[in-house]
Amino acid sequence: MMMTHNYAEYVVPDGVRLEDVRSRLLESERCEVDGVRQITRIYLDSFDWRLYQAGGLLEEREEAGERILVWRDCSGSQALDAMLVSKTPGPIGDLPPGPLRERLAPLLDMRTLLPLARAMSSVETLRVLDDEEKTVVRIELETNRFASADGKKEGALSARLRLVPVRGYPKPQSRLQELLAGEMGLPLTQVNGLLEALEASGRRPLDYSSKLNYKLDPKERADAATKHILLDLLKTLQANVAGSKENLDSEFLHDLRVATRRTRSALTQIRDVFNAEVTERFKEGFGWIQEITGPVRDLDVYLLSFDDYRGSLPEPMRPYLEPFRQFLVSHYGEQHRALVRQLSSPRFRTLLKDWREFLDAPVPEFSAVPNAMRPIRGVSDERTWRMYRRVIKEGRAIRPDSAPEELHELRKSCKKLRYLMEFFESLYPGNDINKLVKILKGLLDNLGNFQDLAVQAVSLRHLAQQMEEEGVATTDALLAMGVLVGNLYQRQQQAHVEFAEIFAKFDISANEKMFQDLFQGKKGQELAT
Amino acid sequence: MIILGIYNIKGGVGKTATTVNLAYLAAHAGYRTLVWDLDPQAASSFYFRVKPKVKGGSRGLIEGKHELQESVKETDFRNLDLLPADFSYRGMDLVLDEAKRPTRQFERLLEPLAEEYDLIFLDCPPGITLVSEAVFRAADALVVPTIPTTLSERTLAELMEFVAEQPGLENLRVMPFFSMVDRRKRLHQELLETLPERFPQILERTIPYASDVERMGVHRMPLLAFAPRSQVAAAYVALWEEVLGRLGPR
Repeated sequence: MMMTHNYAEYVVPDGVRLEDVRSRLLESERCEVDGVRQITRIYLDSFDWRLYQAGGLLEEREEAGERILVWRDCSGSQALDAMLVSKTPGPIGDLPPGPLRERLAPLLDMRTLLPLARAMSSVETLRVLDDEEKTVVRIELETNRFASADGKKEGALSARLRLVPVRGYPKPQSRLQELLAGEMGLPLTQVNGLLEALEASGRRPLDYSSKLNYKLDPKERADAATKHILLDLLKTLQANVAGSKENLDSEFLHDLRVATRRTRSALTQIRDVFNAEVTERFKEGFGWIQEITGPVRDLDVYLLSFDDYRGSLPEPMRPYLEPFRQFLVSHYGEQHRALVRQLSSPRFRTLLKDWREFLDAPVPEFSAVPNAMRPIRGVSDERTWRMYRRVIKEGRAIRPDSAPEELHELRKSCKKLRYLMEFFESLYPGNDINKLVKILKGLLDNLGNFQDLAVQAVSLRHLAQQMEEEGVATTDALLAMGVLVGNLYQRQQQAHVEFAEIFAKFDISANEKMFQDLFQGKKGQELAT
Repeated sequence: MIILGIYNIKGGVGKTATTVNLAYLAAHAGYRTLVWDLDPQAASSFYFRVKPKVKGGSRGLIEGKHELQESVKETDFRNLDLLPADFSYRGMDLVLDEAKRPTRQFERLLEPLAEEYDLIFLDCPPGITLVSEAVFRAADALVVPTIPTTLSERTLAELMEFVAEQPGLENLRVMPFFSMVDRRKRLHQELLETLPERFPQILERTIPYASDVERMGVHRMPLLAFAPRSQVAAAYVALWEEVLGRLGPR
């Protein structure tokens, strides 16, 4: 009981009745039959499978009104940790403090746990006895059903049989293993029944990722390939609408906004592949989505950074900031309701419907738009190389006394370059693009800091004014926010000072050669014509 | 890991019933619990329906050829394991006598189990022997079931004296309690009053004489498992709470 046991678990195959297996066991073994237990298990993970990606499976097991969270390895065969809970947890804060929470918190970060599938089991235990009437091995006979998270899908899963060994009694265990696998031919399984329930519910691990997920053919027409890219982004955007409306966690809206921003960037940067009228219409449409999702995202960012803000203040000032937090929280509900209204509006629905229709429609056989019929690889080479040259040109022009706007412009160009490289990653061999994206990220972080810090400083000032107007700004709160604004400007200054060095590291001939080899290579030249 | 020796110099005082029932309560409360049946009569093993057999016997253990873990048996109760007795335990004194530092042997044998168990109960044979001395050295506390008779008073005094005089036992807590109490007997009543004055260590809770305890042999399981609502079951629950309280915060 105390040691990790070697459970042997068998699937009862189609065509074999559990009832017959049971009769055969009762015939061959001296058994005591215990009552039937009802067990419900729920598969929990974040929307983007963070626990699965970390190699784990989180199961909530409910039996006789008792709920236990069990953390298992990803096959689900081994329990690594467990704890009692009073309700199905959502955000990590729902878990009582303890080792399991400490283990999961860094994996989940701000993401909430969602029930992804359910398995309902009836378990009957046969206790095999020796001649002292001592239990020497337990046989669990399990009939199983599944239900999807929304309860819309449900059905039967295969029955299972489990041998639970009793420490100190290895012989009856091996005898039964021989009977079950040998004579009765039941196949052993390592797969947790909950994974079967997940699959039956129509889900599979990693079926959602905010990352781009497609493979382009270099010879494909640019307009068709661009539709691939945009369709993938649309799927991501739509996958996050429900979670954003319900506000399950802040990442839904964040991912929705990233997909929107990438869509706009693709429309602008993969130039001259669609008719200008279409491009303009949808650019405007996605601009609107960006706009209506902005206010809630801003509040999310402040609330997520609140602890950091608080921690950046001198110790005695930290409590002063509380009215600011309350202000954010009190405005959240109203802003979120407004967002829900917009995301449920005919305008939003029509926009996405029209967009999907456009993307689903085959490209015209002939197109007069200059890049539409060229192979995508040629277009991607050209666009990416051009954007790289622009980044270099703008970066080299920046001096220590340059205006913040210049840095801001450079950041925009860097971001465009990054998006382009990400869109086209699958067109280039090996891992070269990823290497370049990583190098570019260093520069982007610096510029991002510079820009975001300035924006935050400005908007903190606005928020302080708003708090005053609403009569909720205490002197202490304003003083504390003043320190925050000061800190932000100071960090922005720091980012400006560091820029020259970071850009110099980016602007080296080795990097230029890598960009050149990728985007001005022979292969591209051939395909571009 | 806490080690409790259930011990009395005298036999027939209810040691095994105490071991089996307190261990059951500890396990039931979630402590990972082990009972080591050191008595060659193997009564604890009998109650848990485990055949009294240990790989290599006492010699195999003391001479280091076998480890205790090899012989651990899971009982039919959650969190409760048993190291059964072995017929060879009747000669354990002789084997201990041949070993180096005989009274430290149980400490050595139990050490590897520290990770696996929160509580270990040692069900001891009666008498002051090398086995009992080794138990005293290994244990954090001795729980001493005591029938309120004049003879018990003498053996309790003997035990107290031994523990006080033996070097290395300064930290051993001794917790006698009255067992098999028959309140209809005047002598029992009198001693229940007077003995605690002489031995303030005596626990307040008592276990009454009850036929349910004897029926453990019929059911072959702890009393708490087959008669959880009986009066004597409640008495064991109260006794266990007091023992836990005396052991201090866990």
